[in-house]
Amino acid sequence: MSAPLLRVENLGIEFGPADAPVKAVDGVSFAMAAGETLAVVGESGSGKSVTALALTRLLATPPARYVSGAIQFQGREVMTMPAPELRALRGKQIAYIFQEPSSSLNPVFTIGYQIREAIEQHRPEVRDVRGEIVRALDLVGIRDAATRLGDYPHQLSGGMQQRVMIAMALACQPNLLVADEPTTALDVTIQKQIMDLLRELKSKTNMAILLITHNFGLVSDFADRVVVMFRGKIVESGPTAEVLRHPQHPYTRALIECVPKLGQKQRRLKVIDYAGIN
Amino acid sequence: MTTYILRRLLLVIPTLFGITLLTFLLIRLAPGNAALIKGQTGENGGHAMTAEVREQTIKLYGLDKDPLTAYGDWLVKLAHLDFGQSLVDHRPVLTKIRERIGLSVSLTGSALVLSYLIAVPVGIAAALRRGQRTDRMISFVVFLLYSIPTFVAALVLILLVAGGDYLNLLPMYGANSIDASEMSGPAWAWDRIKHMILPVICLTYGSLASISRYTRVSMLEVLGQDFLRTARAKGLSERRVIFSQALRNALIPIVTVFAMELPALIGGTIIVEEIFTLPGMGQLVFQSIEARDQFVIMGVVTISAFVTLFGYLMADILYVLVDPRIRFE
Amino acid sequence: MNAPVDESYSQRLARRFSRDALALTGFWLIILAFVLAALAPFLANNHAIVRVADGQISFPVLRSLEPIEWRFLINVPLAGLIYALRRPLFRNPQRGGLIVAVVVIVVQIALAFVQPYNDVTNDRTRPATFKLMPLIAWSPLESSPDALVGPSWNHLCGTDSTGRDVAARILHGARTSLAIGFVSQVIALGVGVTFGALAGYYRRWVDMVICRFIEVMECFPSLLLILVIIGLSDSQNNMIVIMAVIGLTGWTGTARLVRGEFLRLGGQSFPQAAQALGAGDLRVILRHLLPNSLGPILVTATFGVASAILLESSLSFLGFGMQAPTPSWGDLISEGRRFIDFAWWLVFFPGVVMLVTIMSYNFVGEGLRDAVDPRLQVK
Ligand SMILES: Nc1ncnc2c1ncn2[C@@H]1O[C@H](COP(=O)(O)OP(=O)(O)OP(=O)(O)O)[C@@H](O)[C@H]1O
Ligand SMILES: [Mg+2]
Repeated sequence: MSAPLLRVENLGIEFGPADAPVKAVDGVSFAMAAGETLAVVGESGSGKSVTALALTRLLATPPARYVSGAIQFQGREVMTMPAPELRALRGKQIAYIFQEPSSSLNPVFTIGYQIREAIEQHRPEVRDVRGEIVRALDLVGIRDAATRLGDYPHQLSGGMQQRVMIAMALACQPNLLVADEPTTALDVTIQKQIMDLLRELKSKTNMAILLITHNFGLVSDFADRVVVMFRGKIVESGPTAEVLRHPQHPYTRALIECVPKLGQKQRRLKVIDYAGIN
Repeated sequence: MTTYILRRLLLVIPTLFGITLLTFLLIRLAPGNAALIKGQTGENGGHAMTAEVREQTIKLYGLDKDPLTAYGDWLVKLAHLDFGQSLVDHRPVLTKIRERIGLSVSLTGSALVLSYLIAVPVGIAAALRRGQRTDRMISFVVFLLYSIPTFVAALVLILLVAGGDYLNLLPMYGANSIDASEMSGPAWAWDRIKHMILPVICLTYGSLASISRYTRVSMLEVLGQDFLRTARAKGLSERRVIFSQALRNALIPIVTVFAMELPALIGGTIIVEEIFTLPGMGQLVFQSIEARDQFVIMGVVTISAFVTLFGYLMADILYVLVDPRIRFE
Repeated sequence: MNAPVDESYSQRLARRFSRDALALTGFWLIILAFVLAALAPFLANNHAIVRVADGQISFPVLRSLEPIEWRFLINVPLAGLIYALRRPLFRNPQRGGLIVAVVVIVVQIALAFVQPYNDVTNDRTRPATFKLMPLIAWSPLESSPDALVGPSWNHLCGTDSTGRDVAARILHGARTSLAIGFVSQVIALGVGVTFGALAGYYRRWVDMVICRFIEVMECFPSLLLILVIIGLSDSQNNMIVIMAVIGLTGWTGTARLVRGEFLRLGGQSFPQAAQALGAGDLRVILRHLLPNSLGPILVTATFGVASAILLESSLSFLGFGMQAPTPSWGDLISEGRRFIDFAWWLVFFPGVVMLVTIMSYNFVGEGLRDAVDPRLQVK
């Protein structure tokens, strides 16, 4: 195996007062190979988003504090990277899709403009920017892309907005796409469409995807490997099939049981028993 | 968007009626006029009215009619902007106002533009350095300025830079020099500008506090928004994130604040025009109040209210135009 | 921040407020201004505080007090005393109530007998075995032969064109200016809260009508409206009229705010819960809705006091101030402006005092606003 695309080592991030810190991420280490799909699973507040944002130092300091760790992307250290290099990394190498498409798009700019910004920032060589934007929108399945460039975010449905976010992320052909709960804010049918779209894009490009979710159901047929986070720590990791079949940690087991199985009669959702985990 | 604007326009109608009703009440409840309504000989601020003035007052304001008819007549008169004739020089009130409104409008307009030019950057700076020394300093200074009465500032400025006790940089009073009529175009304009500097400063500094505070809050609200994270994640520079992405959002509510400043500015022109002897509407109304020239007073009050109402209307329409969320409803 | 979990709304406000140094300074300066104003006769007067002559001890200042000053000086500490002793007093509510009622009634009856005593003797020059003069040994209306002299030990802030002591006039003028700011805002608050509460509580057409009314009022510049009202009426420009007019033209902000708060709170469940328990409209408004809007109301009122003092000074400047026996700060400044070229102290000292007072109110308002609105908190 060649050198990994991304390597995170002993990442530690805190919030709150220094004398009583909230350890949002506490000694997290993992690695990703090029083209690999890694799922990060964990309940709300377990530190998934904080980890994801830290990959390009997107957390505002303060309130956040990077207390330990190293992040290497294609062999370069992100933690000590100067600002211009960091900006070249963001969007160009590592692109993001966020949980809430409606608030993640700027309401006063057209979607065309917002995609254009990304392209102009990282691909100055592109002549036909407009054509490139249209292509990006086509790619994510927005019909009549050319006529929708002038639309404002609020004129689109939630699913469409998330597609625009994906188009924007893919416009610069990043090596790593970080999708932070890309479907949580959407309703079930749209969720499926977006996941199908991501799956399709994954097969078309050789892009690595870091999928963040709290839903093991999304993971099983999508991710190559899984990392399970619990209260800022990684409690289990391994190939998806293996983790699903033989979960080692009680928390993982509890998470897996939370997923209602298709075809099975709807039972009461199981409540995680924290007492048993600690 | 059209429905929004239409709805807004419809709301103007009751307000307009309210304004006319309030001016009507002011007239009928003024002690002198109230006496006339009761058939007594009215007084004009402690002085007995002459028969002629009494006649004119009764006729213009319909004091001999029942309130409803009188109000109807008042509305008709207002629709024609007919405020009668000045008791002082017997010229139509509307003509007198027309002669003077230009100066006051340019005065308030310049003050408004200037306060935006200063207060918006200041407010943004405060928001970007929230809670730090700069933020506190700005807050201190704008409130200090806000707390100085206009006439005190005017006096001090005149003492320091006009009139010659210390510096003699600017003229002390008037809208133009005495020999202005003989000046060439550009010289005249420069002369006018020099005469306007101090008055505009006096009108401006008080608005800095509210506009800059408003900008600060608006900016702070935007700075916490998710889409800025998206912009940063795209690799945009911090400057671009703030001055393109954030600012555009923060400015939307600020463009409409100008209307709220209008009443204070119009009040300010009364003082400023009085101090600097500028022949504007503020001076007109002040002289009329001193002369108990109630036709002119009511004319100026009504016109000022109409202008302010128009300002509010413009602000709301402007809001629709600059905010795409409402524009494409 | 370790916020105590069981603190009340007002305790939380106080804790956040007191973190703001400027606001806290402003608050204490305002308290100081009120105390100085209340004690003005003891601080600036040509009557001695204590005088011993011919073997007799007397208190000339006390004799010179007006009945209304007596009422103020007795009743305010009395109210404070009752409040401080509320726990022991009301352990037995009936007995406590009786004691308080008797004391209050007796004191008021006694105060009703206080007669003005026009003592024109000047203790500064009158010989005595011993006398303790106030800090400023001049009365605000007393003329000295030295007109327009600058600050000195004798006249701390100089004298005006008729030789009156500026420091004494500032101190006594504080009563007028502070009273105008305070009373006019009480009036504005009363009107604003009433209209705002009606609009926000009953909504529908009540709201429609009141909103239009607010908008109409906001179309008239206050200064203009006040000038017109004072100009058209032939009142004697007394203090009450000025306070009333400032109050009656300055209530719209409060009304908007209360309406907004009521609309917001109306969406929450507790007013409905209270109604379900059979509470009347007035009770719901007074007991449930109003206390929850108190913070923002206080903010507008504080800013309102500042602008009322400013407004009054503008009126004085334009010659429409009051003809009160003791002039306001605004009156002092506009009187002094004629001599500004060579008698700077006439504008400077009252100007600075007024500026500091207005700024204090504004900073208190700003601090309160930050304390009320957690979004504006600086961590
Ligand atoms: N801006 C912040 N200020 C203070 N604490 C924060 C901040 N952002 C995150 N945290 C803390 O970090 C912890 C991890 O948050 P994170 O957003 O990573 O959770 P998550 O796993 O993404 O949850 P979710 O599924 O809800 O998105 C949280 O418990 C929270 O207390
Ligand atoms: Mg998250």
